[in-house]
Amino acid sequence: MESLKVIDISKKFGEKSALQNVSFDVKSGEFLSILGPSGCGKTTLLRILIGLLPPSSGEIYMDNQNITHAPPDRRGMGIVFQNYALFENMTVLRNVEYALKLKKDKKAAARETALHMIDLVGLAEHASKKPSQLSGGQMQRVAIARTLALSPDIILFDEPMSALDVATRLTLRKELKKIQATTGTTMIYITHDQEEAFAMSDRIMVMNESVIHQIDTPEKIIQNPADAFVRDFVIHNLAEKAESLAKFHLA
Amino acid sequence: MKKRTFSITQIFLACFFLITVVLPMLAMLANLRSADIGKIVTDKYFGIAALNSLKVSATATLISITLAFLLAWCMTRTRVKGKGIFGAIIVLPMLIPSMSHGMGLVILFGKNGQITNLLGLTHSIYGFWGIVIGSIMYSLPVAYLMIADILRYEDSTPYEAASVLGIPKINQFFSITLPYIRKPMISVLFATFTLIITDYGVPVMVGGKYNTLPLMMYNEVIGRLNFSQGSVIGIVLLIPALIAFLFDLFSKDTRSSNFVPKPFALKKSLIRDIFSYLLLIVTSISFLYPIITFAGLTFNKKYPSDLSFSMDNIMNTLNKGAGNFLVNSIIIALAVSMIGVAVAFICAYLTARTKGWPARVLHLMSILSLAIPGLVLGLSYVLFFKGSFIYGTLTILILVNTVHFFASPYLMIYNSLGKLNMNLEDVGLTLGIKRFHVICDVIIPQSRVTLIEMFTYFFVNSMITISAVSFLSTAMTKPLSLMITQFQQQMLLEASAFVSVLILAVNLLMKAIAYLVRYFIHRKENNYHVNKKTV
Repeated sequence: MESLKVIDISKKFGEKSALQNVSFDVKSGEFLSILGPSGCGKTTLLRILIGLLPPSSGEIYMDNQNITHAPPDRRGMGIVFQNYALFENMTVLRNVEYALKLKKDKKAAARETALHMIDLVGLAEHASKKPSQLSGGQMQRVAIARTLALSPDIILFDEPMSALDVATRLTLRKELKKIQATTGTTMIYITHDQEEAFAMSDRIMVMNESVIHQIDTPEKIIQNPADAFVRDFVIHNLAEKAESLAKFHLA
Repeated sequence: MKKRTFSITQIFLACFFLITVVLPMLAMLANLRSADIGKIVTDKYFGIAALNSLKVSATATLISITLAFLLAWCMTRTRVKGKGIFGAIIVLPMLIPSMSHGMGLVILFGKNGQITNLLGLTHSIYGFWGIVIGSIMYSLPVAYLMIADILRYEDSTPYEAASVLGIPKINQFFSITLPYIRKPMISVLFATFTLIITDYGVPVMVGGKYNTLPLMMYNEVIGRLNFSQGSVIGIVLLIPALIAFLFDLFSKDTRSSNFVPKPFALKKSLIRDIFSYLLLIVTSISFLYPIITFAGLTFNKKYPSDLSFSMDNIMNTLNKGAGNFLVNSIIIALAVSMIGVAVAFICAYLTARTKGWPARVLHLMSILSLAIPGLVLGLSYVLFFKGSFIYGTLTILILVNTVHFFASPYLMIYNSLGKLNMNLEDVGLTLGIKRFHVICDVIIPQSRVTLIEMFTYFFVNSMITISAVSFLSTAMTKPLSLMITQFQQQMLLEASAFVSVLILAVNLLMKAIAYLVRYFIHRKENNYHVNKKTV
């Protein structure tokens, strides 16, 4: 069962090409990572998927419906940014329930839904705090709860953990997978961290210089890298990391 | 749809600046055609006034900046106590019109001045030194605030590193301090010079026969209705302001606005602190003494010989219409503050949080008023709006002040909006929260303190201004500040002292209200934190 279908998306900024003929499918409930070095076009792709940026050409379908030009809030998607983008003047609870309260059909159950989501991301005892009193990891959980509250089919993550320390990252990784197991939400996860992509994903899409190099399961990418770039950027780096990790453990 | 409301707002603002800045300035340039520029500029009196202006402004600027630097240094790099009180006294002169500083000198050091009589001085304050001293009092607080800001944001880390490496203090000054402060100090220099050279309030009071360019412009326009000569002088006065503006534009601070400097660890030093106390106390006395004298002239029967309390002087001044002019001033100041804050916020929202060339053009338009002295703006309004329905009304005074004081509050909110998370609107879009709601519920609540600061800035400056409004007000619409010259010309010193006190009182009240509002906002937020910990 397919949920998202991306066909031949290209994006140009003036003369500069940011995306070239990008096509892929995402299955419902899948965890897909988009892995690539900075400037490869992955953030541009994410912004096109959610509708913050129009593509120069190509189409996007969600459950066979063309959503290429639908407004961002009509796509059944949510996004979590690297820098949280929380409403600093509101409490955790207000952050999560605010969007619900502005919607006629969700207004009544807003408080209940919000509290449930806050509980789900493990912040129940912090509900009345303001973002400035939380740690980076906690702030990112608020952002996740805020997105989950509108029960999107797909959540997009734009390098959500690159501002966090290693220990927090490891915990948050596990919890994100747990949340996905509970809610069944499809997740598309942008990262430049090979290890993160391999630890979390059902499939990984490797990108460089505005094109897709390979899209496959982690095992198949390791067994059968599509080209020299995938071998260098993904496997070589991963091996190096494993080596240093092993040394660390030995020491 | 959203794009369209956006461009409509932008077109509306572009028209606003076109009508309130660009067209009036063009009208003034057009007016030059009827003037014989060659004749005016080579005129003997023009030459004398220009040279006088340069001499006075250069002298006053150098002294003012030196004093301001020392004061700022005392307040940021020493361990003197009572910095809160000293800091408040140093900026007190910013709450009264420049004319009041000149008048203070006249009352104390004039021909029949109190200190003149007391010490039997024979030397007159009128002329060069009078203007220099008055200009210093008028510009020192502004220069002080700018320099204190520079010193406060200096990072102490390079000095610590230098000390560890054993680099002598004198070398530290030349290789760390000087490179750091050079550019911002040049900005301060230009700004102070422009402030002084374009002011006519001090020279009109203590200039005597010593003519300066703004004074000449004022007299040509007010006294002889000679607009073409006024325009020529206006263009000349535009030059230093324009240089200052361009310098600032091209020497932008490249440092990240999120940079947090490491504060200086201040060692004990008796000599340093004694010197600082001396300087701060002498400055405070020189700033407070004229104000106390104004109060004495206002409330005493016959200051300084009969100090018994009397309301006669106040009643007399009120009988001469001071009450009406106070109402004018307050209406103007409140309207300018409300309109100014609203327009500046909308402008800054567009320029700080949207991209593209329209945003950059709008930004440039918004700070352009920095380059136009008040007198020049006022004259351009006379030439452009004469005959229109707003001419001679309070509306034109509100408009000209809003434009004149626009740049500083605009920059305050521009900087604070630029620091808010740039993804807020995107998050709103994806969650289905309208931009309007993001602005009202997220952005404005986080900008409250800046908005209050902007409101106060517009208000206080509208209360004290004598420049742009001087050519545009009528007997009916005159603001209170302009009464100072009128009373002084009628030799009613007590009356003009009372006006200064009145303006100071209104501004102090405004500051106090702003302080209270900020205090309550702060307390509400802190209470919140306390409650949370107990939960």
